[in-house]
Amino acid sequence: MPQSLMARAVRWFASWSIEQRVLGGFGLVFAGIVVISIASYRNTAVLIENSRLDTRSHELVQLLGSIGETLDEAERGHRRYLVTGDQAYLKGHKTLLEQMPVFSQYLQGLTEGTPDQEARVASLVELIGQQLAAEAAAISARQTSGYEGVRSIALSGAAKLELEAIHRLIIEMEGAEQKALRARVVQSTGSTRNTIVLLVLGALLQLVLLASVYHLIHHDITERRRVATELRRRGELLQAANKELEAFSYSVSHDLRAPLRHIDGYASLLSKTAGESLNDKARRYLQTISDSAKQMGQLIDDLLIFSRMGRQEMLRTRVNLDQLVKTVIHDLRLDLQGRTISWTIGSLPEVYGDPAMLRQVFTNLLSNALKFTRHRAGAKIEIGATQPTAGETEIFVRDNGAGFDMQYVNKLFGVFQRLHRNDEFEGTGIGLANVRRIIHRHGGRTRAEGAVDRGATFFFTLPTKRVVG
Amino acid sequence: MTTLKPILLAEDNPRDAELTLAAMEEHHIADKVVVCHDGAEVLDYLYCRGPYKTRRHGNPAVVFLDLKMPKVDGIEVLRTIKNDADLHHIPVVMLTSSREERDLAQSYALGANAYVVKPVEFHQFINAVKELGVFWGVINEPPPEGLTSTQ
Repeated sequence: MPQSLMARAVRWFASWSIEQRVLGGFGLVFAGIVVISIASYRNTAVLIENSRLDTRSHELVQLLGSIGETLDEAERGHRRYLVTGDQAYLKGHKTLLEQMPVFSQYLQGLTEGTPDQEARVASLVELIGQQLAAEAAAISARQTSGYEGVRSIALSGAAKLELEAIHRLIIEMEGAEQKALRARVVQSTGSTRNTIVLLVLGALLQLVLLASVYHLIHHDITERRRVATELRRRGELLQAANKELEAFSYSVSHDLRAPLRHIDGYASLLSKTAGESLNDKARRYLQTISDSAKQMGQLIDDLLIFSRMGRQEMLRTRVNLDQLVKTVIHDLRLDLQGRTISWTIGSLPEVYGDPAMLRQVFTNLLSNALKFTRHRAGAKIEIGATQPTAGETEIFVRDNGAGFDMQYVNKLFGVFQRLHRNDEFEGTGIGLANVRRIIHRHGGRTRAEGAVDRGATFFFTLPTKRVVG
Repeated sequence: MTTLKPILLAEDNPRDAELTLAAMEEHHIADKVVVCHDGAEVLDYLYCRGPYKTRRHGNPAVVFLDLKMPKVDGIEVLRTIKNDADLHHIPVVMLTSSREERDLAQSYALGANAYVVKPVEFHQFINAVKELGVFWGVINEPPPEGLTSTQ
């Protein structure tokens, strides 16, 4: 049973998070320090109280001594008076009589809280009262019946018995005080030793606390430094990879184009110099060579744009889409020659983004719409936007052209993905991939709806507020 | 009528050079074209040294400069021309396959007079080269000989 309990405790502790463990550890150490502080405070209070009691004991012993002397003095003076009848000898008796209430008050104050001593003080005061009464009786007898009347009293002393009892009592009280003093010395020594042990323990706990704080901070800083180094290293790797990619695209743009130019160039030169002697078939072959070279040139250009859209620095400014769409339609005027298209262009919102990139988006979508409505008699193209919500707006481009089968919708935005044969509709299969890449870089989403021969609609979202970061 | 100054064509690719010459042929300016096959040769020509030690002195009407060339590339040649007090008046037209923004920016920053991307399509290419040759080689008045920088 205890083992399973232990195992459960271990499991319970293991389920704690690092923060909880740290907090638990700190709580324990803190509680230890509080307990030690309270114990030390109490020990110190005992020491202070003992020292106060010691002072009181010393005062009491001193007071008892002087009371004893005063009583002896009074008794001696009183006896001399009894013998001589000289009033001057009664000075001690009178002083004692006057000071007795003060003495009694002092004694009670110094023994307060110790019942033994309080009882002794009471008997002492009573005995002194008896001594004074006996002396007073002897004095009055001397006055009425002269020396002869008090002769025996004068020899032995009026309060001999009381005085002896008083001296015994005083010695007893002094003894009791000495005993209490000794007991307090033992107690104080023990208490001091405890305090020292507790303080050392407290210091150790605080050291533990400091050490763990240092360890945690050190651990944290080391971890941060490691992460920063790792981030920097990855950044450098990424930069190197980007540079390599740039060099690659550069090489593609420069070196791949040259042979294509040569193919087209020499094919043209050939058809020019030997055109007369060639038959139709040979001329068609030459034309095909030229067309293929041109197509590949287009492919390279589109790929380069795609790659550039991915790594180019992005601007983020206000873009007036109404104006942008007008510009794009103007740019496409060559494709519009000889076409009758019914345009429906809704009011478009202002968005935040890169104007050149967004222009590429509309160029691709509108030239697609133009291309796929080519065989429609009543071609319709619609551009519009939904009401902006939560800082973004959805824009759509709709046509009534060739459309597509919704089961291939996932392929639509992929690179080199085409849903039509090249002899139906020409193209490189990069346009929509580029649209998606640009919209994603703006933090937006793309989607498409369509049906074969019933047209297609392309949707994309764009931020209408400045995006931080 | 002054004799036409030569057109200097820096082109490392012999096919590109031939196609360019074929284009210029139509306007009978091909005989004015001097073809250099790398950047070092262009500099040899301009400074009348090496194989061009004995050529008639005088700057060409225009330099058509490819960017990517062996030994000394187009950017380096452009920099040398534009930093030389005797040469920097020569019009320099970059004639290249590169559409990279970086190349464009760098060329203009160094003082290129024009930047033309070679079209892949031969007809466009031929038109571009013809127009360039006619404009810079015939229509445009080159700077007078001996003009040096006032700086």
